[in-house]
Amino acid sequence: MSEATADQGRRQEGVESSTTTGFSTRTVLVHVAMYGAALLFLVPYAYMISTSLKTPEAAVATGMSWIPSPVTFGSYVELFATSQILQWGLNTLIISSTTTILVLVVDSMIAFSLTRLDWTGQRYLLALIVASFMVPGFVNIIPLYLVIAELGLINNYLAVILPFAAGPLGVFLLVQFFRDIPYELQEAAQLDGFSNFRIYTRMILPLSKSILTALALFMFVWSWNQFLWPLIVLQSEAAYTLPIGVVVLRDNFTIQPALTMASAVVASGPLFILFLLLQEQLMTAVEMQGVT
Amino acid sequence: MATTDESDGLTPESRSGRELLEGVLFASPYLIIFGVFLLLPLLIGGYMSLFDWNALAPAESTFVGLENYAQLLADPQFRNALVNTVYFALLTVPSILLVGLGLALGVNRDIKGQGFLRAVFFSPYILTVSVAAILWTDLYSTQYGVINYYLGMVMANPPQWLQSRLFAMPAIALTTVWWLVGFSFVILLSARQSVPEYLYEAARLDGAGTWRQFRDVTVPQMRGAIFFVIVINLIWAFQVYGQPYVMTAGGPGQATETLVMYLYQAAFNQRSFGYASAIGYVLTAILVGVSIANYYLLGGDNE
Repeated sequence: MSEATADQGRRQEGVESSTTTGFSTRTVLVHVAMYGAALLFLVPYAYMISTSLKTPEAAVATGMSWIPSPVTFGSYVELFATSQILQWGLNTLIISSTTTILVLVVDSMIAFSLTRLDWTGQRYLLALIVASFMVPGFVNIIPLYLVIAELGLINNYLAVILPFAAGPLGVFLLVQFFRDIPYELQEAAQLDGFSNFRIYTRMILPLSKSILTALALFMFVWSWNQFLWPLIVLQSEAAYTLPIGVVVLRDNFTIQPALTMASAVVASGPLFILFLLLQEQLMTAVEMQGVT
Repeated sequence: MATTDESDGLTPESRSGRELLEGVLFASPYLIIFGVFLLLPLLIGGYMSLFDWNALAPAESTFVGLENYAQLLADPQFRNALVNTVYFALLTVPSILLVGLGLALGVNRDIKGQGFLRAVFFSPYILTVSVAAILWTDLYSTQYGVINYYLGMVMANPPQWLQSRLFAMPAIALTTVWWLVGFSFVILLSARQSVPEYLYEAARLDGAGTWRQFRDVTVPQMRGAIFFVIVINLIWAFQVYGQPYVMTAGGPGQATETLVMYLYQAAFNQRSFGYASAIGYVLTAILVGVSIANYYLLGGDNE
């Protein structure tokens, strides 16, 4: 901010422009900094995977060996044999897939209604939904719990699915996107005798594949990772999701890092595979949140 | 869904009547879920916060007016949770902004392996909070943890991270930065990439060095994204729950007990639903305040 720093900046610039060939010092420094940071980011994963492949004794030994010797899958075997982790995985999969599908259907329908149909009250409705952005999920947990209990949904998958099927984010993203689809297309379809339902299913949805995919991925990951709400409404061990299960496991097997890390690998593995396959779409969904 | 095949034969009134009907039909699945699981609880919560709520027999609850709120002001445990939450926000929000910005500007440069770096920095964000927290609890372990193993090489008595009143919260904050920075990083990177290059060329022609370009081009151009990152992280920070729940259970003492933890405890351990609802409303008020402040700041930016 001071003049001195500004001068220094100008001098550095001079140094860089005088280096015409090869790496400038600055380029090297940026590479070192970025790859150094990447290494730090990866250390926890390295610990997680390496520890999960160690014997119970090696995992608690002082001193750090990054490459387990011997490599053993004993913790994974024990995990699948003694815990309900498979059941938890299935629960999590059912909950996150259903939530995702429901969000896509319900959000795209209302976004269609708000952008492609013409009726009074749309603006107020959109304003109400946007305003509900400000109500953070967590602060509603007690009355929501009572509503869920009143509906008899405690310990039911629906208790985790329904409250998150009407988040404002998806509506907001889809409204922005649907607005940009040319209205001439819709008029032409109407002249051909298309009903609004057909326009929605045959025209708008296919044209919106990219944003629907991004939203689906984001919702799936988000829903898979939920913690507090499932913890409150899922009360029997057989109904737990993976995020709750790993904490319960850790508390049951005190100081057994090999087993705990194996459960962490199992709980996050599916998402990592999904991420590696579809990272562009997932990051698109994140970027769109920044834009909206 | 009605077909509109013969829409030409309709009067404008009946056509708009049908548009309204269809509009509402398309909107209704969302509106029902939205009403039952968001708006209704919000109203019930406000109502409950005015009662000494009897969880077993709601009909026998006593109306206490604003007494729950008055009680909050005098409650040392609430004050402690509020202070801890603010402290957590102060530790995490600026760090996430600075780390996210640094990584975004670095990756934006002409650097080898851009895609790889972007994936690495984003990746912790896809972990569930409990996995991130368990993982770091072990990294911080004083018996077999990696961090103190390496710190032990350079210092005699490395901190007892999660058992220490002084270090527990910063340790949780560091975990949070690692876990969540990827989200902000992606947003900042995308904002940086949409700054038009000719602005930098013009600045260079004017003799602006790196620092001046950063201050006069990068920061103003990225203002919207920077505000968004600050606000979303503030909102997350005020709702922090999973990390302290898993890593320290609010301890040592109550050094890492946060607002949502206290709310949870009041509701589900002490069954003080009315009191907990009041905590929820105060938290909502704080977050709405944050959002409104953001709205005005952003509004000024857009003009």
